[in-house]
Amino acid sequence: MADFKSIRVEHGAGGFGGPLVITPTEKKNKVMYITGGGAEPECLQRIVALTGLTPVNGFKTNCPEDELALVIIDCGGTLRCGIYPKKRIPTINTNPVGKAGPMAKYITEDIYVSGVTSKQVHPAEGEAAAVAASAEPQAADLPKPETGKFTATKKVSQTLAEQENKSIVTIVGLAAGKVVSTFYQAARDAIQTCITTLLPFMAFVSMLIGIINGSGFGDAFASVLTPLAGNIFGLVILGIICSIPGLSALLGPGAVIAQIVGTLVGAEIGKGNIDPQMALPALFAINTQGACDFIPVGLGLAEAETETIEVGVVSVMYSRFATGWLRVIIAYFASFGLYAAA
Amino acid sequence: MDILVSFASGFMNLFKLGGEQFVSWITGIIPTIVMLLVLMNAIMSIVGPERMEKIARFCTGNPVLRYAVLPFISAFMLGNPMALSIGKFMPEFYKPCYYASATYHCHTNSGIFPHINVAELFIYLGIANGVAQLGLDMAPLAVRYLLVGLVANFISGYATEFTTRMVERQQGIRLSREFKTAHN
Repeated sequence: MADFKSIRVEHGAGGFGGPLVITPTEKKNKVMYITGGGAEPECLQRIVALTGLTPVNGFKTNCPEDELALVIIDCGGTLRCGIYPKKRIPTINTNPVGKAGPMAKYITEDIYVSGVTSKQVHPAEGEAAAVAASAEPQAADLPKPETGKFTATKKVSQTLAEQENKSIVTIVGLAAGKVVSTFYQAARDAIQTCITTLLPFMAFVSMLIGIINGSGFGDAFASVLTPLAGNIFGLVILGIICSIPGLSALLGPGAVIAQIVGTLVGAEIGKGNIDPQMALPALFAINTQGACDFIPVGLGLAEAETETIEVGVVSVMYSRFATGWLRVIIAYFASFGLYAAA
Repeated sequence: MDILVSFASGFMNLFKLGGEQFVSWITGIIPTIVMLLVLMNAIMSIVGPERMEKIARFCTGNPVLRYAVLPFISAFMLGNPMALSIGKFMPEFYKPCYYASATYHCHTNSGIFPHINVAELFIYLGIANGVAQLGLDMAPLAVRYLLVGLVANFISGYATEFTTRMVERQQGIRLSREFKTAHN
């Protein structure tokens, strides 16, 4: 490991997690960044200079996960911020986002750090703790416990489940227990999703709406939005703008922009400024950029090869641009008769 | 002094309005969604990813199954973003196309099945709320969103085959059309 040096990364203002110690090795010698539609994050230069890692643009290409010492993302708190921590790859988020999104449970201090700028990147002085780069998936291979007797370390149900000759009572009991615990876990997950993703977003949008409606901004927004979202031509234009290749990747992260625009359009519908029938084409128009920021990661989930990702990123952006306006028009024709009685 | 007081009360009013909005969402939206999420999460974990994989292998052969049926089922069963992982059962050439369709499916179905994409639900909910404010039922909008989505997402997925060919020519790369059986 000739030229590689360890760095220590702390979280920035409002950030979460860390400090992470990144120690590159001969094998783990790459840093991948998936930020701003392919733009280099501000901290990248310093990280590369200090560590000697090879930078890889995740929007252009991909690299095998076992070569990654570090991933840099700019996730607003929905998906990307959890994906790499889940794979136990050290992750830097340039946005100050904590445990959020559907994968919040994987986001822990020992693998994830957010709100990072170049100021938070320091050379690690003689710290032997190569925690991060070599972090292994936890608890994969615990020794198989012996079956049979009840022991103090296991519950009765676990012991019964491990027995080879189960009686009918045991089988029924275990099955019922499994159903109950499946639903209970489902409920836990549901509440968790609410707390980590739904409620924060509601709070954020509510505050925006309060300010917009309470101050004079509401009318200003209405005068901009009503001509855009109130008729099919405006919506087609909106759809085309959102899907412009490149811009679409910038509009993507967390679908935050689309969600705010959706809420604002909804508010205008509620006030009667926009016909409720236009809700359907509007749904398609504000989301023509859907997931353009996420292409490399999504294709990575599909185990795509490097050249597939290179082609795919461009191809999906083109197809969004090519079909976005068409989706709005289809939705417009499908909206005839919707809420006609009103 | 009066100016100061009226400024202060105006300032507080902004947040009072926001708070009212917040409470109305918590009482109006959260309870239903939580109940739906419990059931859907349970279905997802009972069906499990293995069975989903069998369906996926069956569906890769034809465009309608590939861009309308399969992404619909995988969005329903796996949610966003794991629905995108089903792309691994496709030949390399079709992965971007499946992605194009599946990501849209993670939105257009969320009117009826909010569990698919809770984090990005407000695209639908923001607009649907306006409809609800007028005293209209949100269901017809949700149903049409899903149905139009099926057609439009198929078109978006299929169209990506053409753009992928185009980009292949631009970059001088040819992606495999055959599924590698040695995979995994």
